[in-house]
Amino acid sequence: MLRKDLLRVSRAGGGYRPQFAGRSHRPLAARTIGVFQGHVGEPRHRLDGALDDLEADADDFKLVRGFAALLERDATFEARAPLPPERVRRTVFEAAEGVGGVVDDGDREAALGAAADRLGTDSGAVEASLYADRETNEVCTGVEPRWDPDGLIEQYNLSLAQTALFDATEVRLRSSDPANLVSAVKRLGLLYEIRRRAETDHERELVVTGPDALFRRTRRYGTAFARLLRSVAGSAEWSLSATIDDRGTERELRLDQGDVSVPGVDPIAEPTYDSGVEADFAARFAGLDLDWELSREPEPLAAGSRAMIPDFAFDYRPAGGAAGDPDGDAGAPPFRVFFEVMGFWTPEYVAKKLDQFGSVDDGVELLVAVDDSLGVGEEIDALDHRVVTYAGRVRVKDVVDALREYEADLVADAAEALPDELVPEADVIGIDGVAARRGVGVDALASVSFPAHERVGRTLIRPAVLDAVDAAIEPGASLSDAEAVLDDYGIDDASAVLSRLGYRVAWEGLGGGTIEER
Amino acid sequence: MLTLRYEDGTIRIDGLEADDDAVESVPGVAWDDRGLVARAPAHRYAALRDALADRGVAVDDRVATPDADRLSLSHAYDLRPYQAEAVAAWRDAGDRGVIQLPTGAGKTVVAMDVVAELGVPTLVVVPTIDLLDQWRRELETEFGVAVGQFGGGEQAQEPITVSTYDSAYLRAEDVGGDFGLVVFDEVHHLGGEGYRDAARLVAAPARLGLTATFERPDGAHEVVADLVGPKVYEAAVDDLAGEHLADYEVRRIEVELGPAERDAYEAAQGTFVDYLKRSNLSVRSGSDYRKLVMRSGTDPKAREALLAKQRARRIMMNADAKVDTLGRLLDRHRDDRVIVFTAHTDLVYRLSERYLLPAITSETGAAERREILQRFRDGTYSRVVTANVLDEGVDVPDANVAVVLAGSGSEREFTQRLGRILRPKADGGRALLYEVVSEETAEERVADRRR
Repeated sequence: MLRKDLLRVSRAGGGYRPQFAGRSHRPLAARTIGVFQGHVGEPRHRLDGALDDLEADADDFKLVRGFAALLERDATFEARAPLPPERVRRTVFEAAEGVGGVVDDGDREAALGAAADRLGTDSGAVEASLYADRETNEVCTGVEPRWDPDGLIEQYNLSLAQTALFDATEVRLRSSDPANLVSAVKRLGLLYEIRRRAETDHERELVVTGPDALFRRTRRYGTAFARLLRSVAGSAEWSLSATIDDRGTERELRLDQGDVSVPGVDPIAEPTYDSGVEADFAARFAGLDLDWELSREPEPLAAGSRAMIPDFAFDYRPAGGAAGDPDGDAGAPPFRVFFEVMGFWTPEYVAKKLDQFGSVDDGVELLVAVDDSLGVGEEIDALDHRVVTYAGRVRVKDVVDALREYEADLVADAAEALPDELVPEADVIGIDGVAARRGVGVDALASVSFPAHERVGRTLIRPAVLDAVDAAIEPGASLSDAEAVLDDYGIDDASAVLSRLGYRVAWEGLGGGTIEER
Repeated sequence: MLTLRYEDGTIRIDGLEADDDAVESVPGVAWDDRGLVARAPAHRYAALRDALADRGVAVDDRVATPDADRLSLSHAYDLRPYQAEAVAAWRDAGDRGVIQLPTGAGKTVVAMDVVAELGVPTLVVVPTIDLLDQWRRELETEFGVAVGQFGGGEQAQEPITVSTYDSAYLRAEDVGGDFGLVVFDEVHHLGGEGYRDAARLVAAPARLGLTATFERPDGAHEVVADLVGPKVYEAAVDDLAGEHLADYEVRRIEVELGPAERDAYEAAQGTFVDYLKRSNLSVRSGSDYRKLVMRSGTDPKAREALLAKQRARRIMMNADAKVDTLGRLLDRHRDDRVIVFTAHTDLVYRLSERYLLPAITSETGAAERREILQRFRDGTYSRVVTANVLDEGVDVPDANVAVVLAGSGSEREFTQRLGRILRPKADGGRALLYEVVSEETAEERVADRRR
């Protein structure tokens, strides 16, 4: 980090772009290092004078000062005085009072002489010591730059970018090392939330602000953002965008691994946070034949002033049918479970999110998958069944297990809500059709009686229909004729109905057969 | 049941949901998606607490000072009538607001009385290291308790703690929930954007501001009114002069530049003025000056002009004739107690070396600064030269002569410097203020504006 007055940015095109140093500044970096090394043994004001001269030669004096500010950290200065300056001052000022106040050269010599006597030295040593400890008079005793010119430029660019963040009010980040990023955010006392950049963008970013940012745009957290950059810049792939309050004008600063790196630190190559986790999961889930239908990118869920868009929704469509109300109206919405694959998380955050998004009563339920490896060292014991963990990829089985819990509850709930008796209008209807129309599982119908129908296999048939079918089928008829009759009545479960009527099929070869009495 | 807690510079309100009416209707409350909790700015805690009480909402208030932490304090001061009035006015305003008293009118006493009366953990925020030392000493002496300190190389917290604005800004989130009363000495400092957080992030429901000049041309007092409260009491210098403050007289001395100085000054000033002409800027307008400063970052000519202007100012400031004049004044006042002010650190050291005067600047270490002031107070030293660091509110008892070399500005600075020497003198002698300016310079215009 540099002092803010050394910040160099370009606002061309309404942007906010730090003016990074490049290869062409190598000679200037080398000269600045040289000026420091050449002033070992000299007082600071001489060094400052030489740097001023260098500034005059350079296109950009702030660049020289920036280099110098970094190098100064590796230079040591100390006061060199014949006598301890503070003691000398005390003695001199007392002596000045002793001569009745110094107002001219005569008084001055008398006072200095008196002080020298008391200190057992001469006036020259007294004068040389008087303010030898002022910073500007300190002597440079050594310079050990930790950087060569290239390293100095690299460090300068990092420091410059950090300085540009002093005026930031919000920072948005992506990193190939999100676990480290999240822990740095927390360590610095900042807050974050996870957002998609756009609805169509599957990759998420960490939006970082500080507590007070809730109430006003504030630059208070600028130095914390600058520190955060140092953590971020140590990872292999990252990008940052920041909102800058540039004396009241809002500007955007964008940085990535091509702009800034940390000298002497090899970027940490961590497994990438993979938004492919979602796509992969969707494909595998769709391959199963379940009562749950998966849709990607469902509608946003309201969460306070902001919306959250979960990754998926699972709609419960029991018995494979289109769930709807029993009367076949436009249809009550199916029971829906939202599913979010969380890239970044903490137990508190997950627990809050779950509480926030209602419960079965509201018909909205949220299930989350959290990456085990991003737990930021915290326990996950506190989390309940609505959380599945994953490492690398989300296991479909874990999610199905979680959904089964809802399913069991749903079946039980639905069964309780069912009447003891049902009289479907249709003469012939499949049990699964009834279940689908009631929005329940087939199992839930086990305890329901159908007084107007007879249950034959998987089908409910009114007795009159059964009689009519019975009359239309004679022993000796071909199976295909019998099936045609059944089909006319909308019955597709031929073997169960024929069996109920006391017939069986005498099979002939592979295709046909003849109806005969049992 | 709502629970109020202090958290990182905010009041965290547990027990509210995002869609509760209270989030919308209670002033200052906002819903925080980041932690899924409701919050209010710390400085609105008192208003929040009162609004909830008005509505009869049950609250578990963990921000309020617990009874166990209350302090039992008393002092031996006998308040002067205007001091008692000031305290009463502040209490009537709901333990909130700013008291305006001239420097030397005993603002510290007013604050100590408030601290004793409320008996809650208190943070006192002051602008300088000198004031830090002074407040701490007085609080410790008067109340007989250990007093904490943030700033000047120390970070120790006690139920009563004194802090610099800088430290209060930096530590606000950590300690902002620990105090029931916060006192801002020289409260106009809160007008600076950087320091506002020292008040914003502190929850203390009782808030007292002290200043010699509340209204400020830049409108900063409106910020102060929002964060601390409006001005609730005012007494002017004229009300108190002759009664509690020493009478004073201002003498102005004009000096000329020497021939060499004049040439150098005109050359530098010429470079500056030429650049302005070429680029159609005018020095009269502050915004043009800011433009010049901004340009100087990229335009070497602009930078040259700016450096020339600084050079001219330095020549003016350091004029040999001023140094000589000071010698004559010191000669004239050999038996008096003299404080010399100048804005330029380099000039302070030049004067210190020339006349062997104890010097205090921002470079002076805390221990040495304390020693010099102590020795000035006890009479070991009869003179001291400083670079503005004593500008505000430090007691320098019984100084009766001040010499201001090339003052740089605003009315505020002038009043407060004046205030520094306006201490009641034992023998009732008249205090003197010399203002030494260079002829025909911008400095004179500054000096004229004050009259």
